[in-house]
Parts: sequence; structure tokens; C-alpha cells
Amino acid sequence: MSHPAHYREAHPFIFVMTHWINLIAMVALAFSGFYIHYPFFAGFMGVARGMHFFFMYVLLINLAVRIIAAFFVKSATRLGSREVDTDIKNWLPQKLNRHQLIPWIKYYIFLKKDHPIGAKYGVLQKIAYIATVPLTLAAAYTGFAIYAPVMDWAFFTAGTDAVGGPMNMRIIHYYLMWAFILFTAIHAYLANVEGFSPSRLIFAWKEEEGLQFDAEGKIVGGTEH
Amino acid sequence: MAHEDHDVIYDLLAARGVSRRDFLKYCGSLAAMLGLSQAFVPEIARAINQGAKLQPAVWLNGGACTGCTESMAQADSPDVATVVLEILSIDFMETLSMAQGQDALDAAEAVFEKEGEYILIYEGSVMKGFDGNSLRIGGKTGLEELDHAAPGAAAIVAVGSCAVDGGFVMAAPNPADATGVQMYLDEKGISTPVVNLPTCPVNPEWVVAIVVDVLLLGSLESGAILDKLDRFGRPKYIFGQTIHDNCPRRGHFENGNFVSEFGSEEEALGYCLYKVGCKGPQTYTNCPIVRWNRRASWCVEAGAPCIGCGSLDWVDVGAPFLNRHRDLPLPNVGNTQPGVIAGVVAGVAAAGLVAHGLGMKATGRMDGGAPYEEMKEHDRKRMKKGGGK
Repeated sequence: MSHPAHYREAHPFIFVMTHWINLIAMVALAFSGFYIHYPFFAGFMGVARGMHFFFMYVLLINLAVRIIAAFFVKSATRLGSREVDTDIKNWLPQKLNRHQLIPWIKYYIFLKKDHPIGAKYGVLQKIAYIATVPLTLAAAYTGFAIYAPVMDWAFFTAGTDAVGGPMNMRIIHYYLMWAFILFTAIHAYLANVEGFSPSRLIFAWKEEEGLQFDAEGKIVGGTEH
Repeated sequence: MAHEDHDVIYDLLAARGVSRRDFLKYCGSLAAMLGLSQAFVPEIARAINQGAKLQPAVWLNGGACTGCTESMAQADSPDVATVVLEILSIDFMETLSMAQGQDALDAAEAVFEKEGEYILIYEGSVMKGFDGNSLRIGGKTGLEELDHAAPGAAAIVAVGSCAVDGGFVMAAPNPADATGVQMYLDEKGISTPVVNLPTCPVNPEWVVAIVVDVLLLGSLESGAILDKLDRFGRPKYIFGQTIHDNCPRRGHFENGNFVSEFGSEEEALGYCLYKVGCKGPQTYTNCPIVRWNRRASWCVEAGAPCIGCGSLDWVDVGAPFLNRHRDLPLPNVGNTQPGVIAGVVAGVAAAGLVAHGLGMKATGRMDGGAPYEEMKEHDRKRMKKGGGK
């Protein structure tokens, strides 16, 4: 089948690290968050809260590092290519993705037989990844708004009053975690459903040969495997 | 403070079996509540002593259960609080006035004539529904009564959650269109200062604190009381920290020792009530410090989870009281716990992914996906239109 090559240039090592840190932090936050929501076994509340607050900072600092690095680190901007450009190009509109939203949707709902041409991140994929940034910030805001040391700051009470009190803020925070869980489930599914090469690359930084593409999205070489 | 100043108050107290020592201890706890240093104890004692000048007050009952009246009436046994509260000359109170009928109404009217001098204590919600006819007294609606009494008051003390924001009376579906005094006055453009004392019912200790602070230490005249109120018009020294912050069971919370069901061994051990729905973490009152019923005990100490009666909209955001989350009202479904909604959404999503995976398998895309298109659909269509360019 038509498996693109997965080269290290797609995910430079720093992004392999930030991805790992995100994963660990989110698992820790979701687990401790569920525990704080409803302590399902005894003797862990102090640790759970400590974990939650610690990994909250880890996640936020990691997000800042990831965003700053996007402006300084070079990475491949299309599939199956070692050609690199500044990473932020991956997060802005790209020529390869133009007019491709509808074809992607049709592909995913089986109304289109062939794989749409796309940049390293296809249209829907890019939207989903970028959405994790406001999602993280919203989780942070709603979390701080129910975090005793800062919940009385006007910046947070304004939001708390707007949503109708700390109970509603707590429920929004809880739902944002579910949004993350849904994102992660869909992300893990789509990243691996056509083969595990993306996972081998992002987790173990292991390359795999496959098709190579040019800037027009045409296959220019590489081997099927 | 000269010794002779003491006479009146100590005679009063002695008649009630309260020693000078008890009195000063009480003043100490008041100073603590008001956020004053213990150096203020003599000043508070002196203020109470000199507070012999009676402050005219009217107690109006709005839409409520009269529980706040009941709560205040509990301050009846010999105790300093009663001495302080007697500084308020409550000339009219629908439930407790000696006078009846026109005599009682005349007494209220006499107070209302002392514009700018009297304190209006309002218990219960302001019911706007049915043109105000949910409540009628002396041939007038409750709304007319409040409209008449509020503008001339030096200050309004809204006692109990109902007076603050409508309390349980405004819980969904709120047929009487109940609201709080401050909210109602804002609508009417009446700017009399309002001090909000939520909880259901109000704790007499807080009324004592307000009487001492506002009337005796002069923070109403100086305007200082307004700086002491939070954004909901509640005194910060009473409603500035959560119950959770000061809870005697907090250690059990941090240790992860929870009561999972009533009647269990954990309950007997006095463990934390978080799992059985305690709303202490989001309820701002000083109940754990001041306590209730003449500082005897309070809800959590007595073994009941906090139901958050000091919060705004407390019934709708607190019920069901024994659950961690409030219920969300869903159209056509009814009240549902947020976790149930999340579980259903996640289940549907998981089923969707499995179904999609089966589709991917059936279309043979699992091994590397479908072959890539040679050209974008958009470009292909354009070429067709443009004659094959």
C-alpha cells in the first residue's frame, strides 16, 4: 500500500521529548484528576493533589517550550521528506492543504477511495492539534479558578462568576479533561490505524522507509514495503 | 476605660449569669471574627457597654420559611450575644412583634419616618412574580413594603440566603420569580447599602458581628463597612475563606480518609465527608471557626456534609447534596450527573472509533492507507472545466 516514509526530520528530537512529556503529564493529570473528582481508593488525596499541581506546571511549561521551539527548530513540512523548514510553517496554512478539507472528510467517511494529498499534517489533523493549545489553556484557566491559592484573583473570579460559581467551573474543568481524553483516543486511533510507523517515530525516534513526496504532493520516489 | 463605665453592662450581664471574664472572652472572639487584633478587645467591650443608645430597626419578612427568625430566636439563653442584639430596637417584626394589626403597622411607620436612622433587616426572598402578590401585608404587596422601607434606611442587612439571592425560594423552576434584596434594589435604582449575610438560616453570631462593626465601631458612618464587603456584598471577615480551608476534618481529606457511606466504620472515625457530597471546598463561610448554636457545633462537626448554603444559587448548584457534582438539567432527559453525560459521550465515541476501524479494515486501508490521489480533487475539476489544461 501507499505508506509514506517516516524520517526523523518530521519530528526532531526535541519534539519527541515534548510529546513524551505531554503524554506523561496528561496521563498523570487525568488520573489524579479523576481521583480528586472522586477518591476511588483510600490514602492518596494528598499525593493526587500534589501530582495534579506538579504536572499542571509541567504541562504548561512544556507547552511554552513547544511553542517557542516551533520558531527556532527546523522540521519537515511534508510527508516522506527530509527537506526541512522552520517548524511553525507546519502550523500555518500550507499550499499542499488548500482545498483539501472536504476531500479529507470524504476520505474518513469512506466517500472517497484515494488518500487525499496533504502536507505533513492534513487539514483536520492540523485543526485538531492546534485546538489542543486553547484546550490546554482553558483547562489551566478553569483549574486555577478552583485552585485555592489563586481562585480569589479577580482574573479568575470574573470567570467563576460568569459561569455561575465554583461548582460550574469544576464541571467545566472536568469536561475539558474528557475533551482531552476524546482527543487522545481519536489521535491515537488515527495515527496508528494505517500502520504503526508514526508511533515508532514519535516515541522511539525510529525511521521507516516509504514513499517520498515533492512540494506538489506528487510521489517522487521511495519504496513500497 | 474607667471602672464606673462597666456598671451598666456588668449588671446586665450578671443578671444573665455571664461573668466579666466570659464577656471579655466573647469580645475577643468577636475581634478575631472582625479581623481586628486582640488590642481591640477593650474597645469592643467599651463599644458594647456604651451602645446603650438604641438603634431603631425594622425586621421585614419576605418569601422564606422564617428559619432565620427561628435561628435568631435561639440566641435567647443568657449570653453576651443577646445583650448585643438588644442594642437593636426592633420595633416591628411580623412574627415576633407584641403588637398586632394596625398598631404593629403604625410602629413600623413610626420607624420609617426616621429617615437615615434606622436599620432595615430583611429576611426572605423578594418575590416579583404574580405582581408581588405572593406576599401581602397590611393590604400592600411585599414589593411595595420593601420599596417603601428601603430608600430611607441607613443600611439594609439581608439575613439568610433568600434575602441575598432568593435562596431556596428561587431554586428552579422559581415560580414566584424570587430574587435577593440587593438584586431587586439594583433593578429599582435604590442605592441604600446592603450587607449580605447568606446561609440557611443566618447565624446569629454574624448578625452580632455586624451590629458591633456597623453600629458600635462606627464602620457604617465612616463608610468602612463597604470596603469590608466582597463582590457579593458579604463581609469578607465572615465569607472570605472556604469551609474546607478551616475544616477540622481537613487532615482526613489530605490523608485520603473518606466516608463512602453513612453508617460505616469510616463515618464513626470522623473521616472526611468529601465523597458523600460535602460542598465545603467551594463554600465561603467561617462556620468551622464560629460554629453554630452558641458556638456548640456545626454541620460538618455534627457529621453532615456541608450543603453549601452560604453559596449563591445554593440549591441548584448544590443538589443533589450527597453527590460530588450538581445535576445538569437536560431537555427531554431531566436532571443528569455530569459524569453520566461524559460516560455516554465517551461510549458513543469509542463505539464510533470501533465502527470506523472496521470500515478501515473492510476497505483495506489498515496497511498504509489507500493509494494517494494523483491530483487534488479541486485541481482535477478545474482542469476539466478549463479544457484539460
